Amino acid sequence: MLRDVDDFLAGRIGRRELLRGGAGLALGAGLAGCGLGDSGSGSEKETEKVVKAKVDGDLVYFNWSEYLDPALIKKFEKQHGVKVRQSNFDSMSSMMAKLRSGNRYDVIFPDQSYAPRLIAANQLLKIDHDQLKNYDKVWDFFHDPKYDPGAEHTVPYGLYATGVIWNEDKIGGMAGSWDDLFREDAKGKIFVLDDYQEAIGMANLRNGLDLSTVDPDEIDKSKQMLIDQKPLLRGYSTDDIQNLINGNAWIHHGWNGDVVNLRNQVKNPESYRFEKAKEGIPVGTDTIAIPANAEHPGTALLFLDFMLDPENASQNVAYFGYPMAVKGAEDAFAKIAEEDPAVQITLDDVTNGQQYAYLTGEDKALWDRTWTEVKAA
Amino acid sequence: MSEQRFATTLLLPGGLWLLLLFALPLGLVLAASVGSTDDIGNTIYGWHPENYKQAFDPLFLPVLLRSVGFALATVVLCMLIGYPVAYYIARYGGRWKHMLIALVVLPFFVNYLVRTYAWVALLADEGLVNGAITNVGIRDEGIRFLNTSFAVVGGLVYGYLAFMILPIYAAIDRMDEALVEAGKDLYGTPWNTFRHVTWPATFQGVLAGSVLVFLPAVGDFVSAQLLGGPGTYMIGNLIQQQFLGADNWPFGAALTAILMAFLSIWMVLYLRSAARASREAAL
Repeated sequence: MLRDVDDFLAGRIGRRELLRGGAGLALGAGLAGCGLGDSGSGSEKETEKVVKAKVDGDLVYFNWSEYLDPALIKKFEKQHGVKVRQSNFDSMSSMMAKLRSGNRYDVIFPDQSYAPRLIAANQLLKIDHDQLKNYDKVWDFFHDPKYDPGAEHTVPYGLYATGVIWNEDKIGGMAGSWDDLFREDAKGKIFVLDDYQEAIGMANLRNGLDLSTVDPDEIDKSKQMLIDQKPLLRGYSTDDIQNLINGNAWIHHGWNGDVVNLRNQVKNPESYRFEKAKEGIPVGTDTIAIPANAEHPGTALLFLDFMLDPENASQNVAYFGYPMAVKGAEDAFAKIAEEDPAVQITLDDVTNGQQYAYLTGEDKALWDRTWTEVKAA
Repeated sequence: MSEQRFATTLLLPGGLWLLLLFALPLGLVLAASVGSTDDIGNTIYGWHPENYKQAFDPLFLPVLLRSVGFALATVVLCMLIGYPVAYYIARYGGRWKHMLIALVVLPFFVNYLVRTYAWVALLADEGLVNGAITNVGIRDEGIRFLNTSFAVVGGLVYGYLAFMILPIYAAIDRMDEALVEAGKDLYGTPWNTFRHVTWPATFQGVLAGSVLVFLPAVGDFVSAQLLGGPGTYMIGNLIQQQFLGADNWPFGAALTAILMAFLSIWMVLYLRSAARASREAAL
């Protein structure tokens, strides 16, 4: 929602989209309640619709903000003679909430821990690989990833790592550790990601625990660490780029590519640095998927194909700073990583690194409850 | 058509409105508040009163107290700012009166969220206001406005001030000016006249304004989310997180039901006070 308003102010979306996109939030929980019951788990049959990759309407697009080159959106619009109606989410949870309350999108960008949930609930359309001219450009590893066997429902998007971004003009002496998010001398200038997985995961790693632990005692220890950290914090936010630019943040829990994106927006790019914590970092894959209830799945398939085109992928990598798992886009990221090795993330990291597990039932509830308690404390 | 039937017909649109947009959603909230969720967070209706037990966890008490505290501070500030404004417009507005009231209402044409977001850009550490402060050289360092309790209360005051001004304006405007003159004729000082004449005569307006500000301010989440920090979490944020963050609509709905019950107590107290006042006025 905040991103919606942000985009609205920046003129990226019209007022109508803002109102529609934000209705659930702006009008409060009561109105969101009206969506009760009209979504829910779909049937498997619905995910197996036969769809041809051809224009069947404008593209309704739902992504993180600043997570795709706007020039590519324009290019796609021109190439296919359609409009891309954009709106943004600010966390995986809020993406899920919008889907749950009955909003219909043509393309969404779930990460590797949310894609399985959507697949299990029959919410994602099965993708006919014959409809994607560029499917063979996808790195072989992602033809059968763990989170989506056979890549039946998703194509890979950015590969990311979570670490610490800081502004070298304001503060130095970083330790290359999660301890940097607990520095007394940056009190009131530190942000932690407003994302239950990233926040609890960070504390787990700093405590030397497994990233995705569901042991109640261990989680309790991490909860206490996050609560003890609160007096040092300026806030919880996923808007790492803007918080650093407007000076509210000196040190920000954030994603590796965002620092590259940020540098593209400021006059002193060399001041903004990224580090990976030595205790371990979470890595992951974002994906592009088509909801089963998409109104324009044909246009959506064209969009997936468009993003897998090596030339477009290269352009996107240069804009958003994350590697894409597309053959022919490696050079674009190699150039970025050469300038700043800290943002490097490789296929090896993604296969061997720590990834957020797909939690269900009591385990998911434990994490949710923990995050609520941290926020409320 | 008899007069009676005509009056009943007049009630239809409003009644339908209330049924569709108030009673029905409220019913859904209550139904969800005793439900549970599946693995992707969809609500499953059922009978799970433990949601309410969870809501009474002592952990959440500080959140409620903080919300009430912020809302009371907002009411007091709105009163201090709103009363003089309303007084001036009603008594000295002259032919500009309606124009001035329109100006008070004008900001409401812009969404509250968007207006609050504007403050973020203005008050950021390296935002416009701090830029001006450091450039003019008032201070070397900017001031930290954002992500504080003051910013949250400021946002609430800014957001709800008009709700205080309008009823007070109506009360002062309705008051017979001759009463003030009578007070002065009886050798009342301006302060005494205000205390014994104007204030009691307009008190119901102040009370109405206070209720109109207090109720939405307690449940507000926008101000705390945009202008607040890690220590300004309000009950509205807690509820919002259940819906948009924690995939737990039933718990969010239970919190909503409890908040509504809590606010209803204040509403009833106000209605009784208003009823008593109008009875006394009729005597």
